[in-house]
Amino acid sequence: MAKPKIAFFKFSSCAGCQLSVLNIEPVLLDVLGAIDIRYFVMAKRENHEGPYDIGFVEGAVTSPKELLELKKIREECSVLVAMGTCACFGGLPSIKNYSGFSQKELEEKVYTELWDLKSFPAYGIDYYVKVDYYLRGCAIDLGELVTLIKSALKGIHPRFRFHSVCNECKMKENVCLFLTKGKPCMGSVTAAGCGALCPSLNRPCEGCRGPASDCNAASLARSFVEDLGLSKADVVRKFRKYAGNTPEFSKGAEAV
Amino acid sequence: MPVEAFVLPKSELGSFVAKLKADYEVFGPVAKGPKFVFGPVEKAEDMRLDYDTTILPPKKYFHQPEQDLMNFSGVADVAEGKKPVGKRVLFGVHPCDVNGLLSLDKVFLGSYPDPYYKELRDKTAVIALNCVKPCEYGFCASFNTGPEADVGFDLSLTDIGDKFVVVIGSARGKEMAAGLAPAAEEDLVAGKRALRACQHDMTRRIDVGGDLGEFLHQNFDHPVWMEEKEKCLACGSCTAVCPTCYCFAVKDMVDLSLQKGGRTRMWDSCMFYEFSRVALDHIFMPDRTARLKQRMYHKLTYYQQQFNATGCVGCGRCVATCVKHIDPVDVINRIQENPLPAKEVTLYRPPVKIVHTEVNPWEPQKAVIKAIKKQTADVNTYTFEFVDPQVRDSYTYDNGVFNLISIFGIGESAISISSCADENTGTFDHTVRAVGNVTKALAKMQVGDVVGIRGPYGFGWPMEEMKGKNVLLVAGGIGLAPLRGVIKSIQKNRDQFGNFEILYGSRTPDGMLFTDEYEEWRKIPNTRLYLTVDYVPPGVEWGHNIGVVTTLFDKMTSRKENTIMITCGPDIMMKFVVLDLLKRGWSPEQLYVSLERRMSCGIKKCGNCQMGPVFVCQDGPVFKYADIMNLPGGVF
Ligand SMILES: Cc1cc2nc3c(=O)[nH]c(=O)nc-3n(C[C@H](O)[C@H](O)[C@H](O)COP(=O)(O)OP(=O)(O)OC[C@H]3O[C@@H](n4cnc5c(N)ncnc54)[C@H](O)[C@@H]3O)c2cc1C
Ligand code: SF4
Ligand code: SF4
Ligand code: SF4
Ligand code: SF4
Ligand code: FES
Repeated sequence: MAKPKIAFFKFSSCAGCQLSVLNIEPVLLDVLGAIDIRYFVMAKRENHEGPYDIGFVEGAVTSPKELLELKKIREECSVLVAMGTCACFGGLPSIKNYSGFSQKELEEKVYTELWDLKSFPAYGIDYYVKVDYYLRGCAIDLGELVTLIKSALKGIHPRFRFHSVCNECKMKENVCLFLTKGKPCMGSVTAAGCGALCPSLNRPCEGCRGPASDCNAASLARSFVEDLGLSKADVVRKFRKYAGNTPEFSKGAEAV
Repeated sequence: MPVEAFVLPKSELGSFVAKLKADYEVFGPVAKGPKFVFGPVEKAEDMRLDYDTTILPPKKYFHQPEQDLMNFSGVADVAEGKKPVGKRVLFGVHPCDVNGLLSLDKVFLGSYPDPYYKELRDKTAVIALNCVKPCEYGFCASFNTGPEADVGFDLSLTDIGDKFVVVIGSARGKEMAAGLAPAAEEDLVAGKRALRACQHDMTRRIDVGGDLGEFLHQNFDHPVWMEEKEKCLACGSCTAVCPTCYCFAVKDMVDLSLQKGGRTRMWDSCMFYEFSRVALDHIFMPDRTARLKQRMYHKLTYYQQQFNATGCVGCGRCVATCVKHIDPVDVINRIQENPLPAKEVTLYRPPVKIVHTEVNPWEPQKAVIKAIKKQTADVNTYTFEFVDPQVRDSYTYDNGVFNLISIFGIGESAISISSCADENTGTFDHTVRAVGNVTKALAKMQVGDVVGIRGPYGFGWPMEEMKGKNVLLVAGGIGLAPLRGVIKSIQKNRDQFGNFEILYGSRTPDGMLFTDEYEEWRKIPNTRLYLTVDYVPPGVEWGHNIGVVTTLFDKMTSRKENTIMITCGPDIMMKFVVLDLLKRGWSPEQLYVSLERRMSCGIKKCGNCQMGPVFVCQDGPVFKYADIMNLPGGVF
């Protein structure tokens, strides 16, 4: 089989996911042997036009210019992957959607030169185009990236398990941050895959991988208030941070 | 017989553990922050024998969170996933957890013994530590699984102040206790007294004053379950920490060569939305209430029905770990305060069938594709032959049972055998629709290619029961595959059966299977074949019925008297077939259905195929409707 042609693109985001792609050192050479990276502005000088077999898109779409580009990318890529929480759900850029400010006010707050700026609310890219696979996380999990590449090479669908982060935390026998330390951990409603990264480092899960399947964010939001004494504003901020656009986390934000 | 008992002064614990270390790797309760876990122990002082409970139960050493089942390099080179383990001691296991292991034994060492679990269990000695103080959430006394362990240990210890009473539970335990001084009568009395006091102090209890299973079955629709569902986060922590939860998923992983890799099982949970997911993303238990009830009922009654073992040993971990404090004791108490009206219930106990295989039940046998026949755009019939002549010659099966077809690096799929049990030719057929990873990979294979196959599994069609009776066969879509063997068996032994009618429905004419065999079937004496489709696309010729398969009931000559009905198809079709026939006065005793569920093992271990107390893989897939119609939660 010919090596699949791969491209990486970036929209409104911090480039952290692309940076972590460059970090898959232990298997980087093997991966590079198996694929043909045709377009990756951050990593290489020579880039080639499409079409591509797999396109990885990082970042949320927040301007008309980006939207046009995204549509072109979709046409050029047989398989389109939303890479990272911004591309999956809107991510950190989507905080502005719930900030209470209008687009114009936001633009004025952030930028000084406004003449060429037109921005709209930040959504995941599947708001606009069909997405074949999602790599969640801020930043993405490299194991999942490699699994996705291997699945593509094998011609099968990868099976990610989007149950709760709690489960991975239990496997590590971490002391529960919520119950033992009273910290507002979101692991119980957040999709696994990171190996309970934050709780294992004694930091509550911030929900960066978005909602777990059939999660019950409203119930957790109530516990944040009733058991841990969080304010309503705090709860809203937690659920609107990474995946506030999703109906699941919206329920958490709207529950209190 | 008086118990054989010794004493171990606490001052000598250090030398006792040091002595054990000479022969065994020792694991025991150690502190982790303010909590405890089982971990490696270098010396006695590492252990916290005053621990209340551990985050994960000792099941993690036997039914490990991840366990390699097979390692492979292409199809040619397949090996067991065993890793060598040395002799181990688990020191200080509380009675609930000792009993938890005994329950897991029923799952993993009963039918189709699991070699990985068995190896770890055989190599590991258990030193129980009876509880002289109730733990915060425990309620073991409710089920007699504590505070004292009666069986299931090599040694048991009871703390009586400055020493432990040591009771011998096995020959291995006796060796470990060599050199200890015999217990005096007063030591034994002190031990008994300490345990009785603990039992007395344990205020948390489940006691419904009668059969808990019946009580729960009567209260299946109690409003409490909706209240708990509103709270439950579906996080699955409760099942991860439960000492008797066994469910797992199986996954193939490959390295970048795409050839070398392993097949691994990993803990799964009925609390997860994906737990019951099958191909085309169909989910059998999408509703959180159903999943929460599956967990609670499994622990409190189904386990008993399935394995005659305790499902909940009252360790309290599920309560301690739940952010929402969902608590079986509290739930039962609330139901008891306000129970639904009592009604007659019978608890289904699946037939006991114990299979012992000499070989590793996880190891597929190589089978070569001898022929491929296209049935429809996405369905092929494959004829397989085992590569190993001994396997080929000894392989027999019943009509309606299934194999697991394995493509290394992708996975395994449960597929019914579509050839006839009475035509033993050394080959067998599978008729497979390409819908997902495994089945699409199979569709790309060619004659001469090799796959792995293990089986056959389950109960098939009631061929004996059908003898001397009329047979009504109702099939939908791919559901005709497991019934094709029945048609051929009746053809072969025509005089053994009465009137025979086949009702077959498909969405469209081009979705019908085995079309080139219909002529032959019609020629079977005293047999009629009725065809129907839901829809005929414009320009397609169709000389038969249009409508769902039940519309054929008015046209058929079959009557309920002395007739067995067998059906396989989509759940929704079987549901209406059964309902319609019941309305026409047929009895649930004469209706047989073949069910589909997610299956990751086929051998009553992964739990994925559970339907209440029933394992579809081994108690089915063919069921007499009368047996399962009253399952709490229903069938369809
Ligand atoms: C008793 C029985 C008999 C059957 N007989 C036949 C037959 O004769 N012919 C036939 O065509 N079919 C039959 N089936 C159905 C057949 O088993 C499925 O179509 C087949 O397993 C699909 O496998 P796949 O790998 O191609 O599909 P996939 O969809 O790739 O995989 C299916 C399996 O993968 C897992 N899975 C899927 N999605 C996810 C996810 N998102 N996360 C985690 N895990 C996931 C599940 O365990 C699921 O069971 C039968 C099923 C049963 C239970
Ligand atoms: S623990 Fe939560 S916030 Fe941390 S990486 Fe995982 S999903 Fe993201
Ligand atoms: S631990 Fe509690 S919240 Fe989580 S799945 Fe179990 S019952 Fe539900
Ligand atoms: S159901 Fe809860 S109390 Fe019962 S054994 Fe499991 S974890 Fe322990
Ligand atoms: S089905 Fe039973 S054993 Fe399996 S995870 Fe649920 S409660 Fe545990
Ligand atoms: S228990 Fe694993 S398939 Fe039935």
